[in-house]
Amino acid sequence: MPVIGTSVKRPDVLGKVTGGARYAGDFAPPGMLHAKIKRSTVAHALIKKIDVEKATAYPGVKAVLTHLDVPRVLHYGSPHPRSVSVTRDQYILDRKVRYWGEGVAAVAAASEEIAEEALDLIEVEYDELPAMLSVEQALAPGAPPIHERKDNLVADPVLVRRGDVERGFAEADLVIEGTYEMGRPTPAYMEPNVCVCQWDDEDRLSVWISTQTPFMVRGILAEVLGVPLAKVRVLVDHMGGGFGAKQDLFQTEFLCALLARQTRRPVRLEFTRKETFLGGRSRHPGSVWLRQGFRRDGSITAREARVTFNSGAYGSHGPGVTAVGTTALTSLYRCDNVHLEGRCVYTNTPIAGAYRGYGVVQTYYALDIQMDEAAEKLGVDPAELKLKNAVREGDIAPSGHPIVGHGLEDCIRRGMQEVNWKNRGQSPISTHRKSGSDPIKRGWGMGCEMHGSSAYPGIKEQGNATVRMNEDGTVQLFTGTTGLGTGAHTALAQIVAEELGVRFEDVSVVHGDTDVVPWDIGAFASHTTYMGGRVAQMAAAEVKKKLLGNAAGALEASAGDLEIRHGVISVKGSDRGISVKEAVSPKKGLPSAQLIASATYQPTKSYSFAAHFVEVQVDTETGLIDVLQVIPVHEIGKVIHPVAAAGQIEGGIQQGIGHTLTEDHAVDPATGRSLNAGFVDYKMPLSMDMPPIRTILLETAPDPGGPFGAKGVGEDPIIAIGPAIANAVYAAIGVRFRHYPITPEQVLEGLRGK
Amino acid sequence: MLLKLKLNGQARELAVEPYRSLLDVLRNEAGLTGTKKGCDVGDCGACTVLVDGKPVNSCLMLGVEARGCEVLTIEGLGAPGRLHALQESFVQHGGAQCGFCTPGMVMMAKALLDENPRPTEDEVRFAIAGNICRCTGYTKIVEAILHASDRNQR
Repeated sequence: MPVIGTSVKRPDVLGKVTGGARYAGDFAPPGMLHAKIKRSTVAHALIKKIDVEKATAYPGVKAVLTHLDVPRVLHYGSPHPRSVSVTRDQYILDRKVRYWGEGVAAVAAASEEIAEEALDLIEVEYDELPAMLSVEQALAPGAPPIHERKDNLVADPVLVRRGDVERGFAEADLVIEGTYEMGRPTPAYMEPNVCVCQWDDEDRLSVWISTQTPFMVRGILAEVLGVPLAKVRVLVDHMGGGFGAKQDLFQTEFLCALLARQTRRPVRLEFTRKETFLGGRSRHPGSVWLRQGFRRDGSITAREARVTFNSGAYGSHGPGVTAVGTTALTSLYRCDNVHLEGRCVYTNTPIAGAYRGYGVVQTYYALDIQMDEAAEKLGVDPAELKLKNAVREGDIAPSGHPIVGHGLEDCIRRGMQEVNWKNRGQSPISTHRKSGSDPIKRGWGMGCEMHGSSAYPGIKEQGNATVRMNEDGTVQLFTGTTGLGTGAHTALAQIVAEELGVRFEDVSVVHGDTDVVPWDIGAFASHTTYMGGRVAQMAAAEVKKKLLGNAAGALEASAGDLEIRHGVISVKGSDRGISVKEAVSPKKGLPSAQLIASATYQPTKSYSFAAHFVEVQVDTETGLIDVLQVIPVHEIGKVIHPVAAAGQIEGGIQQGIGHTLTEDHAVDPATGRSLNAGFVDYKMPLSMDMPPIRTILLETAPDPGGPFGAKGVGEDPIIAIGPAIANAVYAAIGVRFRHYPITPEQVLEGLRGK
Repeated sequence: MLLKLKLNGQARELAVEPYRSLLDVLRNEAGLTGTKKGCDVGDCGACTVLVDGKPVNSCLMLGVEARGCEVLTIEGLGAPGRLHALQESFVQHGGAQCGFCTPGMVMMAKALLDENPRPTEDEVRFAIAGNICRCTGYTKIVEAILHASDRNQR
């Protein structure tokens, strides 16, 4: 039985269910101090004066840092190398404050309580500047610049032109346009950001941290602190979620390292939950103006869009998110004539960054809802219209290279079949029949998406792996990729076991220490299985070659005639065989050499596809929307671990339901103050809110760039669920919503306006 | 102050500050870092432990309030090689992803099953309504708890 495609027990979960798993915040080196950040109480200002005298003198306080004490080095918020995705617009601490909640000083003290008290003793005088709390304010003529650029744009606009849009619209029988608006959901990972820094006697810095990108953290810490890379060691064992947002640096890493250097003591700096909202990263709020032309037969003649994203006070991943989100509109539904513009705008609000779906959540929300609107106007079924226009084999993907296979069509067809789409109101799986007088209205909707594995072409990525086979036949995979909690390391071990023909239990994964493992770009862009898995497979294949070379002599056969299955090397078509262990163990008078191979892989990109089918109910008396059931159909090339893959999809749907119905980090439009930075006021779906989810995984469009054809799955589920819900709400009550989150008040207002 | 309590079956004496939460006492003074701090204000349930058999958010209770109590944390429930049925079930059914909510979730499930060995799915969902998970959509957590309950072991 193959190892891949089987839901083997994840070794990392053992520590998670017993409490033995170590997260960065669990490390407490002897003598450790605790650090806290003082955060600004204004949205836009110059610091006139900052007085730390009382704080410094407070018993137990060991160090205080302000912008006057730290190196002034302009750096990238998210340090992807050679990348156009990110911006270089941050200082560790600046004399200018750009949003309410930005860090302005840091304290290290003997206890958290003392550090907290010392923050109150720091006195800051601000010279306030006009705050631009909306995109409109920031783009208004004469608006004061938040950064160097006079126009308050994070980067030059993204422009995409294909074909001839004017001709396309001229040929259209139907033209639809609309503006779609998106709130500010945040990733809300369960583990607040944390790092522990310690310098040793040789001036080497060790950083235990919750990050998706340890080598990027190493690189930027070294650059900004002026330390050689070899003297910075970044350690990540377990981490409590990231969802894309833990790719940035958050001021804290630099401050923690500097406080540790100054005090010659280890220092821990841990965000409170509130700080994860203030100092963390959200999805980009924004708007999409979208216009499309259709022929009577349902084909799309032209597509024009203007995407505007609110970056908040810093650029972070703004350029990348804007480029990926905007160019995504070239595809999903086929159209030869497109004209797209994307802008990312600084405002004096908390920082938006990378978050699962990376700009595509917003733009496909607009696109998929508009397809539903078009279907109604054309008098055709929405799923049929989407199927007719679905991207397919050979079409040029947003990344610029051809799509492999017919994954999206397969997802749509399978979902339609599963829910008996044509008769969905009467479908046996529908929870209730509609009745005219019932205040509870029910409806079905569907939404589609596609998403790339790897950040190509924005980033030319590189994966590295080393595989070692020990003299007892056990195997160790050395990988730099981080375990966010998805089960990625298990998938990588499965891939190595499969390639080598050994048991899963014989493969262990070494990770989490930049001094030990090969360089890695980070765990993001749904590329860990696709790229990290493929390069692990390549390294394993090299070890296999050496192993078969070893065995060839003993089996008196050529290496090419040998195969490995279940840990036994045999001559194909015969019963002659020896165990893997025998082939590598020490021979009489000879030591055993460990078999070692490394591989490097530079992938392009593959696309995964999904169609989500959703039934909702709307209470027309209270305005409450409930998602009753979700049938997500995902095409991911090859399923490595079915339970982990389904887990990604179920979790993505949970976040997507939250985005669409309840989640919005609210910023006071008058002051820029955060209004709901906590789990009571920032409403996420809980156990009782979540509907049954029946996940269907397809393997109909395997990609040659992934291991055994496998593609990514992490980001896809959060994209399709949103428009599926909005479309189902329309089916239920006949009110079309073109924004998220859709609140009960808005539902009632919409019903009144009908 | 001196805090005497029974922690995971063992009598312990800990020197604690009177203002420290039970969560901080467990993580710092007792060195049991399995219990997690997700919010520190009672919103997320990651710090759930059992005090005299009842589930509490340990961030909302002072350490000194646990004087003379029996406190059970995730470390006391089972260990590799002798996992509790709930722990085994979470491993088996994909009930943990990032794992940060898992200790609290498992302890809340233990409290549920101690009181109600054969819960319905709705009862499971109600019991863990105060434990936030951001990775799983709860599907596999609910499955894991139901499988660990008496109903499925028979």
